[in-house]
Amino acid sequence: MVANPPTRRRVAIVATLTVVGLVVAMVCGMVVGPTSIGTWRVIGDVFSHVGIGRSTLSGLQSTIIWQLRAPRMVLGLLAGAMLSVAGGTYQGVFRNPLADPYLLGVAAGAGLGATFAIVGAGTGVATPTWTPLLAFLGAMVAVSCTWLIGGRGMRSNASTLILAGVAVSAMLTSMQTFLQQQSSSNSIARVYIWLLGSLASANWHSVTMVLPYVALCTLICVASGRALDVMSVGEDESRSLGIRVRQVRFVVIAASSLGTAAIVSAVGLIGFVGIIVPHIVRLLVGTSYRRILPISVAFGAMFLVFADTIARTVMAPSELPLGVVTAVIGAPVFVLILSLRRPIVR
Amino acid sequence: MNAVEIRDLTVKAGSATLVSDVTLSIESGTWCTIVGPNGAGKTTLVETVAGLRRIAKGSIAISGHSLSSLHERERARLVSLVPQHPEVPSGMTVRDYVSLGRVAYHGLLRAPSAGDRRIVETVLERLSLLEFCDRDVVTLSGGERQRMVLGRALAQSTMVIVLDEPITGLDLRHQMEILELLKTEVQECGLTVVATLHDLTLAGQFADRLVLLDKGNVVLDGPAREVVRSPELSERYGMNLRVVDVDGSDVVVPVRH
Repeated sequence: MVANPPTRRRVAIVATLTVVGLVVAMVCGMVVGPTSIGTWRVIGDVFSHVGIGRSTLSGLQSTIIWQLRAPRMVLGLLAGAMLSVAGGTYQGVFRNPLADPYLLGVAAGAGLGATFAIVGAGTGVATPTWTPLLAFLGAMVAVSCTWLIGGRGMRSNASTLILAGVAVSAMLTSMQTFLQQQSSSNSIARVYIWLLGSLASANWHSVTMVLPYVALCTLICVASGRALDVMSVGEDESRSLGIRVRQVRFVVIAASSLGTAAIVSAVGLIGFVGIIVPHIVRLLVGTSYRRILPISVAFGAMFLVFADTIARTVMAPSELPLGVVTAVIGAPVFVLILSLRRPIVR
Repeated sequence: MNAVEIRDLTVKAGSATLVSDVTLSIESGTWCTIVGPNGAGKTTLVETVAGLRRIAKGSIAISGHSLSSLHERERARLVSLVPQHPEVPSGMTVRDYVSLGRVAYHGLLRAPSAGDRRIVETVLERLSLLEFCDRDVVTLSGGERQRMVLGRALAQSTMVIVLDEPITGLDLRHQMEILELLKTEVQECGLTVVATLHDLTLAGQFADRLVLLDKGNVVLDGPAREVVRSPELSERYGMNLRVVDVDGSDVVVPVRH
């Protein structure tokens, strides 16, 4: 028997718990770390910045909180929110449960761009500063190629675009592999670290770089919820209901891809978030994208900040790659979802 | 003014011509059914009237408005569609599904207005969908599902409704139920129906007018009773058809050679 769609009360409860979880994750992101600083002292310091009470932190503690943990936590929020909402949007627009934000070649393009930057820099120890820029450009070039190849832009359909994405990804990944094969073992290691994703290099500059993209693109994705609900009845029926399907598809794919490219350029390739978070939210609040997308923003942000907290504390002082943590948590959840018989995407 | 005015319509798919030089005028508040053998171009014709296919030559006007000059939302306020195989998305309630018919009015960024919600409630009530309006659409039986799809089209508040084989897969009782509902809409609300049907008996009993299509061309066009009784029908279907009068209604019976 199929259960009836979740009630408004249930959706409200899930939304409330997600927001509470998000606040807890933010506090964890600020408080948990190798240097022990009391939770209430950190919270007191946060309030002192808005004129309530006064801070009891030393200069060093304040630097740890505001120059290391806070930007890392905020970048984690932005990455989790963007990847999750982009994944949900892709799943809706392609009506494909396996769609994730990297579907149209963002990952392969960004990977090639980053590899080009790292290998081109030679044998240095640090990842070059222009890596994010080349990763961003690589991602955007890849998605543009997919869009143009997959049915000449506006006349394309969803299946053709997905197949074009597969082809473009395969081509760019093979180019990246060739570049890696020609480079030193040191470069290969740094490319590998970048590919697994990390928030370790987060700072306020990287936050301010991605914030405008993430804010705008998240807003567009969330606003597309009603369109995606209508488009769940198929392209022809949506058109008969008055939807300009191809224009809507263009706008939401452009927003999802741009936001994802911005995030990937800053934090590397973080897997699983974009595919599992929308699915978990769908199981909790039903199949309406008007509910899935806004809750995925908060849920994804919460998920990634928790995952990053685990990544930097489990093997402290060294860090686990964030992509490994999200996959370790995400894979079992994903298997669980796959084992459910009921169709999970419409 | 005619509800649907089709002039010299030609529709192609690649180099193949699916509908060729069709001219039809359909009066407001009437029921016109397109019949013909498989591959005659029935679905292509009604999908083109619904604005889903590109017109290669000729024109279609709905209530005086040229279809090719209308934006999607404007078109969706003039003509609605009940497809042959509607996609029913799991997890959506019946009420939400019927409400999709109002998107052309409130748009994609606004919630339905009180007026939109009132229209949806009226449709749900008229089609006896209220009792399961909060159920998941995939839990409905075939007949209930088809009523719901019809409800979505009626919620569009259009003067013209296009139906492509609306009774496919339904048992006899539910076939009659859907067609009776439509007939009531035509008689009470002045709705114009353009439908395709394979069942010639039901087509003859419910439609005011039948158009026989074959290989993309109009072969016969006239009052339902005349078309059903025409010898051309047997010829075009490539079989022997007899018409039997049962209590004043024509019943079309295929006769085995």
